[in-house]
Amino acid sequence: MPTIESNNIQSTTSEQKSPQTKNSVPIFEVKNLHLHYLTRFGEKIHAVSDVSFSMDQGEVLGIAGESGCGKSTLVNGCMGLFIPPLKPTSGDVLVSGESLMNREPDEVRRNVLGRKVAMIPQGAFNSLNPTRKIKDLAADMIESHENTKDKKEIYSRLRERFRIIGMDESILNSYPIQITAGMRQRSVIAISTLLNPKMVIADEPTSALDVTTQKSVIKMIFELLDKGVFSTMIFITHELPLLRHVAGRIAVMYAGEFVELGTTDQVIFDPRHPYTKALMGSMLSAEPGQRQRKPIAIEGAPPNLAKPIEGCRFADRCPVVKPECKKNKQVMRIVADRQVRCQYAS
Amino acid sequence: MKILINLLKTPAFVVGIGLFVLTLLMAYVFPVFYPVDTITRVGMPYMGPSAQHWLGTNHLGIDMVSLLVKGLRASLYVGLLAGIIATIVGTLLGIYAGYTGGLQDDIINLITNLFIVIPQMVLLILISSSVKEGRSLALIAFIIGATGWTWSARAVRAQSSSLKSRDHISLAKINGTGTFGIVVKHILPYILSYVFMVFIMQTASGILSEAAISMIGLGPYDSVSLGTILNEAMRNEALTDGAWWAFIPAAILVTITAFSLYVLNNSMEGVFNPRLRK
Amino acid sequence: MLKRYPTLRYILTRAGWYLVTFMVAVTINFYLPRLGTSNPVDIIMAKVGAGLDTEAAKEKEEAYLKEFGLVELDKSGEIIRNESGKPVRTPTWKQFRNYVLMVMKGDLGTSFLNYPKKVGDMIKEAVPWTLAIQIPTIVLGWIIGNVLGALAAYRRGVFDKIFMPFSLFISAVPYFAVGMILVYLFAIVWNIFPAVGGYAGGLIPTFSLSFFSSVIYHYVLPFFSVFLILAGGQAIGMRSMCIYELGTDYIKYAKWLGIKENKILFYMFRNAMLPQLTGLALSLGLMVGGALITEMIFSYPGLGMAVLTAIQGNDYPLIQGCTLLITVCVLVANFTVDIMIGFLDPRVRAAYGGK
Repeated sequence: MPTIESNNIQSTTSEQKSPQTKNSVPIFEVKNLHLHYLTRFGEKIHAVSDVSFSMDQGEVLGIAGESGCGKSTLVNGCMGLFIPPLKPTSGDVLVSGESLMNREPDEVRRNVLGRKVAMIPQGAFNSLNPTRKIKDLAADMIESHENTKDKKEIYSRLRERFRIIGMDESILNSYPIQITAGMRQRSVIAISTLLNPKMVIADEPTSALDVTTQKSVIKMIFELLDKGVFSTMIFITHELPLLRHVAGRIAVMYAGEFVELGTTDQVIFDPRHPYTKALMGSMLSAEPGQRQRKPIAIEGAPPNLAKPIEGCRFADRCPVVKPECKKNKQVMRIVADRQVRCQYAS
Repeated sequence: MKILINLLKTPAFVVGIGLFVLTLLMAYVFPVFYPVDTITRVGMPYMGPSAQHWLGTNHLGIDMVSLLVKGLRASLYVGLLAGIIATIVGTLLGIYAGYTGGLQDDIINLITNLFIVIPQMVLLILISSSVKEGRSLALIAFIIGATGWTWSARAVRAQSSSLKSRDHISLAKINGTGTFGIVVKHILPYILSYVFMVFIMQTASGILSEAAISMIGLGPYDSVSLGTILNEAMRNEALTDGAWWAFIPAAILVTITAFSLYVLNNSMEGVFNPRLRK
Repeated sequence: MLKRYPTLRYILTRAGWYLVTFMVAVTINFYLPRLGTSNPVDIIMAKVGAGLDTEAAKEKEEAYLKEFGLVELDKSGEIIRNESGKPVRTPTWKQFRNYVLMVMKGDLGTSFLNYPKKVGDMIKEAVPWTLAIQIPTIVLGWIIGNVLGALAAYRRGVFDKIFMPFSLFISAVPYFAVGMILVYLFAIVWNIFPAVGGYAGGLIPTFSLSFFSSVIYHYVLPFFSVFLILAGGQAIGMRSMCIYELGTDYIKYAKWLGIKENKILFYMFRNAMLPQLTGLALSLGLMVGGALITEMIFSYPGLGMAVLTAIQGNDYPLIQGCTLLITVCVLVANFTVDIMIGFLDPRVRAAYGGK
């Protein structure tokens, strides 16, 4: 039974930014995943196309991209929980070698959700039931996975956990409306990781928060990583500078596809895909020497994913587009030690 | 207009407007082909339906169909008039409270809550029972409108309150537009469709209130309305005698009229407020 | 001190507000009927004064004026007269003051129609019958309607597709229409249930089994008239609320946490219930009115019938007494619902003092 093991807290700072020596089975693997939404008119919106990646224990993978590119849809699918109208089209998601597809929803609920994979959703401060105290929500979660009914024991475990992660006990006895947005965000993080899941997905955990609160949220995430509460994380954001401090590898997503996947340094300082290049160019940076550089906006809008798309999805907005781009389907190629989805990347 | 086409595509709208048009037809077109006579005794009291008198006679021997036509007209009139009054009062109060905020908002809220909690029926009974003479249809409509505006006031207030914080209002203020100008040019257009829906609900409510108040005997003094028909049926024991033609058709007419307006209102919600579309 | 107990503050604030509303209601109750020009004593005199000679008529009139507090009295209880010997009429504001004092003591005046019977006594007989209809229909209608609505929202499917339009229709039908149709079908045509009365005509109220069974027999139709509409309306509203709740972020998060389905249903119901309670409070006035009309249709011996007969007989004190009591009932019910909401919804308490 996974419990909140305070004596097993290890320091894994050294495992933060780069992938560990490979184990035989990656802790998380996505193979050619395609996801779609079914609208009430029967239309299929192909929100995620051909996404593949794998993660080893201790890795932090950042996923970056503009709003609406499919990041949230992707991670929703990664949980093995397909809430309508989201449906899997094809592909596989494996946790420690176990596939999440085609399983009984209740079995996935019991064994996977919260235990193996945990989600810190977007807009976490809205994710708390307004009529339930924090401690009760956490207790509900524990009770749904274990067979304990002893509330006292559960509450003392919660207090201990909050103490370890440096959160005030009074938050436990509060309703969401009584605490600040930052506290709510951190409560969500605490609750999601209660059962020490191996893998955590954080969907824009710092968006819509003020800078000070952002800092404390990131600090908390790293403390949890340090203490071994979880070891592997997917971190989604549209703010690239943040990923530089957080992720070991970065995947850049556009119109439902990964267009580039490489280490942080590779993607940020030596981008090869035209979209990644444009993204880096559109960033405001506080680096010395960058102040003179004007941010360049990317013209146009992403394509409509309800219709089948021929050729490269970025072709309409690509600054170096060639006529063949619109006809040839683009696949991931290895260029300069990382994956790029562009036939002209060098 | 695009809105009209979208509306016609919604089945609920078609049902609603269809039924309502039906009632209008019965009230105004049907009499062209049928001799409406609510004065002459054409048969025995509580005579059942027959070939000449499709819905029989009432307790005085007067043709029921004629009474129903006249009653329907009166009820529609009262409902519409009450609806107009209630909507105007409610909308004005709602916009004022919602947009101005502050103390005025609190005071109007207090008054609105008072009128909500104190049952409209009670107010109707108290006022009607004191005005013994001269209870005309218009007066009844006025009383219903003057006591039933709370619903529209609340609804409009909520809308104007949320609009108040929108950017285009702030822009107008910066440009120096006065309060009245802002209300007319920047708030009214947004809530017009909403006010129209509110008006339909108030009319439906007005028709029901008229039926209720007339049924208990506090209705118009000299006119026939669907409610007074029901009242007479109750007083002359048509219920227990089994003279269903004396009250069931009237009850059904009230129901269909109000129901058609409800359905109309529901269907328009889907089109006018795209956020509700799932 | 009060700031530390937001719940207490909330209760006191609401209680205060309802007290104010009550005072306004008493004032309205007094002044509205006096809008017209008709003098109640004239109406009585028209009935009983015919055939009396002028001297006897004048005596009777003055006796009535004295009885109904319309003339000024001196310390010994004699009517004060002006120069021409006519009795001095009490100014309206004084009448109001006397009225308020009377109401405080619980005296609602004397009935015109059933003179010298006191209004209070007549109401006392009628209230239990009205409460017997109001309370069960509102409570059961709310509970069952909401449960059905929640089921329809969660299950969807066939149940929802049949249930929804049916409830929509039922909730739009006015109370009296349902009442009349039920009377006609079940009492006249099929003769299963009685059409009139709270109990069979010849019986005298006693604590006997036969009396109670008669009461229940007569209770069925009026109960269902109100219950069906109430439940239908609640079901429709609850269904919408539940559908909305099911799409919220917190339900999604609960699912991601792997929380059991039963618990999630509990979350949905608990949170959707709150606006339904608020809606209940807002429509209590309407429901009470509807139930009263239903009483009239069934000649059920409650406040509704009392009001009806009072109106038909121009019995002003009785009308006023009934309306005041009805308003008080609605206020009490509203207050109760407000308190319930205060206990169940932390967001409401937060508005009154936070932590």
